Amino acid sequence: MAAEKRIKVIISMIGLDGHITGGQVVAQILRDAGIEVVYLGTYQTPGMIVEAAVQEDVDAIGVSLHASNYSLIEELLALLKERGMGDIPVFCGGTIPQHQIQQLKDKGVAEVFLPRSTAESIVTGIVSTVKGTRAD
Amino acid sequence: MKAAYTPDDVANLDYGKDLGDPGSYPYTRGYYPDGYHSRMWTQRMTSGLVSSRETNKALHQYREMGQRGGLCVICDRPSAMLIDSDHPVGRKEAGVLGWPGSSLLEFEELMDKIPMTGQSLTLLGSSAGSAIRLACVVVLAEKRGVDLQKVHGSVMEYPYANFFGQDDNQPFDFNMKLFLDATEYAIRHKIHMRAGILSQHFQESGGNNVQALAVEMAMLKQICSLLVNERGLDFDDVAPLPYELVSVGTRFFEEIAKIRALRRMWAKLAKETFGAKKEKSCHLLIAVHTSGRTMTYQQPLNNIVRTTIQSLAGVMAGCSALDNACLDNAYAEPSPLAARMSLNTQHIIADESGVADVADPLGGSYYVESLTNKLEEDAYEIWNHIEDMGGMNAALEKGFIQDMLREEILKRQREVETGERVIVGVNKLVIPQEEDFAIPIQEVTTGDSEGVARQMEAWKKTRNLALIEDKLNQLYSDCRKGDRYNLMPSIIEAVRAYATVGEIAGVVRLARGYSYDPFNMIACPFTIQV
Repeated sequence: MAAEKRIKVIISMIGLDGHITGGQVVAQILRDAGIEVVYLGTYQTPGMIVEAAVQEDVDAIGVSLHASNYSLIEELLALLKERGMGDIPVFCGGTIPQHQIQQLKDKGVAEVFLPRSTAESIVTGIVSTVKGTRAD
Repeated sequence: MKAAYTPDDVANLDYGKDLGDPGSYPYTRGYYPDGYHSRMWTQRMTSGLVSSRETNKALHQYREMGQRGGLCVICDRPSAMLIDSDHPVGRKEAGVLGWPGSSLLEFEELMDKIPMTGQSLTLLGSSAGSAIRLACVVVLAEKRGVDLQKVHGSVMEYPYANFFGQDDNQPFDFNMKLFLDATEYAIRHKIHMRAGILSQHFQESGGNNVQALAVEMAMLKQICSLLVNERGLDFDDVAPLPYELVSVGTRFFEEIAKIRALRRMWAKLAKETFGAKKEKSCHLLIAVHTSGRTMTYQQPLNNIVRTTIQSLAGVMAGCSALDNACLDNAYAEPSPLAARMSLNTQHIIADESGVADVADPLGGSYYVESLTNKLEEDAYEIWNHIEDMGGMNAALEKGFIQDMLREEILKRQREVETGERVIVGVNKLVIPQEEDFAIPIQEVTTGDSEGVARQMEAWKKTRNLALIEDKLNQLYSDCRKGDRYNLMPSIIEAVRAYATVGEIAGVVRLARGYSYDPFNMIACPFTIQV
């Protein structure tokens, strides 16, 4: 049986928020777990993230959120769907209140990681979702 | 660290040389012989949300909640990055994380029925915007017939925040140029507005206390050197410019020691390195912001306790101003409840605890003096290393500061994961989310941002466009006169004519060979004679 392809994930900020610590930490956590990370950094519009997802042929997209501007996430999900990439799971992490978490999930976000989520929970969450998607 | 400290631990302490009385060199014990009896610390909340009108309302509200001594407003991301609220990218986040301060009009609305004197005015934003924010203060004072010499506070900010989570998508040389022009102008015209040279961003990104001290001193030395050597200013005129905003965490005594060490280190830098001739030059204005990073998502009511410990540390260390983070920091911008709680924390400390009755109450403690010495010693080690590299700018070019910060961030993450670093409610005594207390959340919807954007679009058309074009051409022409030509006079003219941050910054960018728009989406709407 062919070796399973390594999981590849985008880690990105979205919009104008400049806080990168969370994204940097998660990128390291994923790399330590053997996941390939495409780190986009700051000033990524939803369009730019989708472009990168296409170019890099990723398995998942992780967005670090500090602001309450969730409309950008909605835009990202809509763009992915438009491009026929609606099956690529989108994960969010950051300072996101509880009621927003449910709203984001309703809009199609795969999972939301709260501040101080453990490395294990993040890796497990992403890997199991990606493997589930691949199995489909 | 020992379990107990004794006189032996401070045997070598020389009171006159190492401590001094409060109000005496090297100011370890503070700048005022009478401590807070001379001047109470400014008790304030950082504000800035949705629109200028809403922020103005919040300022009035905070005043009712007992904010006293000064106000503090933080710019939203678009205006901090010098793009307008109606910019294609800016319009999605106008008023989201701060005040949409992209023009003089916005500043006028912000300051509606708020006096420019009698309290400190602090506007937090990014570096290049320093020049425009300063221009707004100058123009508004003029319009209101206020004596500019009586206005005080801080609207300028250092150019290093870009490396510490406050990136503004502008080139470093652009930031440095506008920052130095603004600060030089303020100093030469004796405008009592300060420039924030903050260790807060570095520390909130994950740096530890020792590193924060070293980085702060390196930044202060670099900026002061540039103003003295490149701009030809006298150090004693430069010394009143900087103010520091210290992030205060929960390790109570360490935070107090950090601030005491900072005072001593600045005093020595001023006197021994820069040859200060005035005693006032050995003072550093130190404001405290309690650590937002320590505010947990889980069990947010615990954050009230953390803020209290942190605020108490700031007061006992002798800060000049205190704005605390709020219990809902991990969720959203402060709700009125959270803001009131933070201000009340300060009031209770001020009015009920008695700690403000005595200057430097922990002075002489075997532990606190040992800790102050140790932090200073360890900080010098890192700071000397930075200076050996050529100073702050050089250390950043080499990536030393960034690497140091990154390592510390990852180290801390591991400590929390393993439980070595305990955070109650997060990795100890965790409760299910359903059992947690539901706090009110301050929301900002996209509709608000779009509203601000549309308002700006409409307003822009009503301005005297010919006048603005004229002023922007003057600015462009001044930019082409070389780096030593101070742009403040032409920026003030442009601001007075109601040119916006995007327009002013855009023209300066063009003159420096950059695109008008850092996002390359819009062109300059005025005709600039090249």
